[in-house]
Amino acid sequence: MIPVDYAIFLIAAFATISGFYIQGQEYIGSMVNGQLIQSSIIALISFVLAYYEHSLDLVILGVLIAFLRGFLITYFLDKRVPGRMTYVYETNVNVASLLLIDLAFIVVGIFIIYSLVFTRADLITKFGPSSILVFPLSLFFQGLFLIGSRRSTFSQIIGYIEEENSLVLFAIFLVPVPIIIEASVFLDVLALVVISSILVIEKFRHFPMEELRG
Amino acid sequence: MNLIPLIIIILPGLANIFYRVNIKLAGLVSASITVLLSLLLYLQLPLEGLFYVDRITWVFLVMVSSVYLLSTLYSWEYVSSIKNRGISQNNYYLLLNFFTSSMFFSLVMNNYGFMWVGIEATTISSALLLITEKSDVSLEATWRYIILVSAGVTFAFISIILIYYHFGTLNVYTILHSGGSASLVIKIAVSIALVGFGTKVGVFPVHTWLPDAHSEAPSPVSAMFSGVLLPVALYVLYRIYEISPFPQLYTWFAVISIAAASLFLAYQRKYKRMFAYSTMENMNLALFGFALGGVGVVGALLLLVSHSFGKAGAFYSSGNILKSSEKRDIAQINGIWKGMRYTSSSLLLSSLAVTGTPPFGTFVGEFLILYAAVSSHALLQFGIVLFFLMAAFINVNYNVTRMIFRGSGDLKEPGKIMPMVSLISSTIPLVIGVVIIGGFFNVLV
Repeated sequence: MIPVDYAIFLIAAFATISGFYIQGQEYIGSMVNGQLIQSSIIALISFVLAYYEHSLDLVILGVLIAFLRGFLITYFLDKRVPGRMTYVYETNVNVASLLLIDLAFIVVGIFIIYSLVFTRADLITKFGPSSILVFPLSLFFQGLFLIGSRRSTFSQIIGYIEEENSLVLFAIFLVPVPIIIEASVFLDVLALVVISSILVIEKFRHFPMEELRG
Repeated sequence: MNLIPLIIIILPGLANIFYRVNIKLAGLVSASITVLLSLLLYLQLPLEGLFYVDRITWVFLVMVSSVYLLSTLYSWEYVSSIKNRGISQNNYYLLLNFFTSSMFFSLVMNNYGFMWVGIEATTISSALLLITEKSDVSLEATWRYIILVSAGVTFAFISIILIYYHFGTLNVYTILHSGGSASLVIKIAVSIALVGFGTKVGVFPVHTWLPDAHSEAPSPVSAMFSGVLLPVALYVLYRIYEISPFPQLYTWFAVISIAAASLFLAYQRKYKRMFAYSTMENMNLALFGFALGGVGVVGALLLLVSHSFGKAGAFYSSGNILKSSEKRDIAQINGIWKGMRYTSSSLLLSSLAVTGTPPFGTFVGEFLILYAAVSSHALLQFGIVLFFLMAAFINVNYNVTRMIFRGSGDLKEPGKIMPMVSLISSTIPLVIGVVIIGGFFNVLV
């Protein structure tokens, strides 16, 4: 590997760490900030690769991530935190045990998807063999786990954005899809976050309901 | 370039220009024109370029435009009489039009990436429709719909990336005419698509949003969901499946889903939830047909077309009953035959249609799918499917006949248009079945 490859591996590792950071938060404001950091890290990866590959598409992708995910989505979410109070947090969350379960979930998930499936498919990324795909995959499972383990609308939206971030990273590492499609995906996600943020006002937390059982 | 698909996509959206004037009427006019254009498109098949429309796509286009027309017409009375609205009447029509546009977009685009975008757009445009009748339960159902479907469909994007990685293009026509691929990468893509798009189709165990959304949505929207949204997702899934068929995986997932739907259906206490599980069963039966190939594909198409009208009829009838009684439990609805002649007829016809009773079109579709299963020597799957189809038939029809004939009720028809639309929609599967069976006997004679 050349030095830039090591740099990309290192930055990608920070994306995974940001996922753990989000998972470890009870305060909604901190989770929104975690999402901002994660999106910025992915935008940075796109810019670094654009510089070394002289790719305009990756520059546009980086700008899209920074503007739509980093700025607009953070803005919408931040605006919807009730009363914009930084102390709004999710109750009944045992962060320590959730982090442990999250770790176990990721290890098992990656073992199944990566070790048993992806390695056999001989996927060749820009950085040689597919080991770098572990980072987007871990991010994907973290997003899924956040959706599954939390009750608040905010946490679940952030889990969904994390899932989407993982796919952007996956595509950057494997093969960036045409920018027009990537841009449409970004707009879709933005629209979905806007729609979700409307629901946040009406329903902040989610619990099982008798009427929806069975 | 043929402009008809483009017009079909933009026409429902174009109706929204009349948001402040008369969006209701504009929607109805656009729905009528899209039905005509969809039918006309048959003369120009196949299309390839920016759009990819073959005969299979055409069947779906006709389904979507027809149910859109029926739902717009049904909404005319239904939506205006809603008491506790979550969104305004104009917003309802605005979203319904965008929702339909996104379904057309998913169907006709000649690009797997845009198909994915279209499917995601259907979630965005339809989510707020679920809170038209606002309650704490409908808000929860809406949220579950958004988060579960989006999370699932996001997973499907991995398969889009893998397809692009392997073929270097996302052009549907080019990929389908490249002779397929036995590569493991594509096998993974096809498998991931089953879980990803399968979330929207209602494949077990990623179906959990389906009964909640169907039961809490206003009836014309439930009809659109059951009748056309799920089939559109199934269409996209089938287009990916066609790249490299993986029948073992798809048929077993479909069979397990049919069994699960039939079991869930057995203990439902609410009629709209019961019909939602029936949709899950029918979608997976169609998936089973698509996965078997050959005559199974014909069967799946026939099943989907007949089911779309039959299930729309079932949800419209449910809407009529809900409007009159304001009750959702099967046990609370008795003897509707007395005061609701049209609704009880449409409910009976539609429940017979969606359970594959002869001579409805669904029966012909189911027969062809089961025939394909026997021809493919999938005898174990055939046996399981047959058993659970019979179980679903008994459950649905037992509950429906109880609602119609047991005791005496004092419910009255909620309007004039709603019962008529219900009856028209429920009769179409019967007409389809009679025409096909009649045509078949003519050929024999």
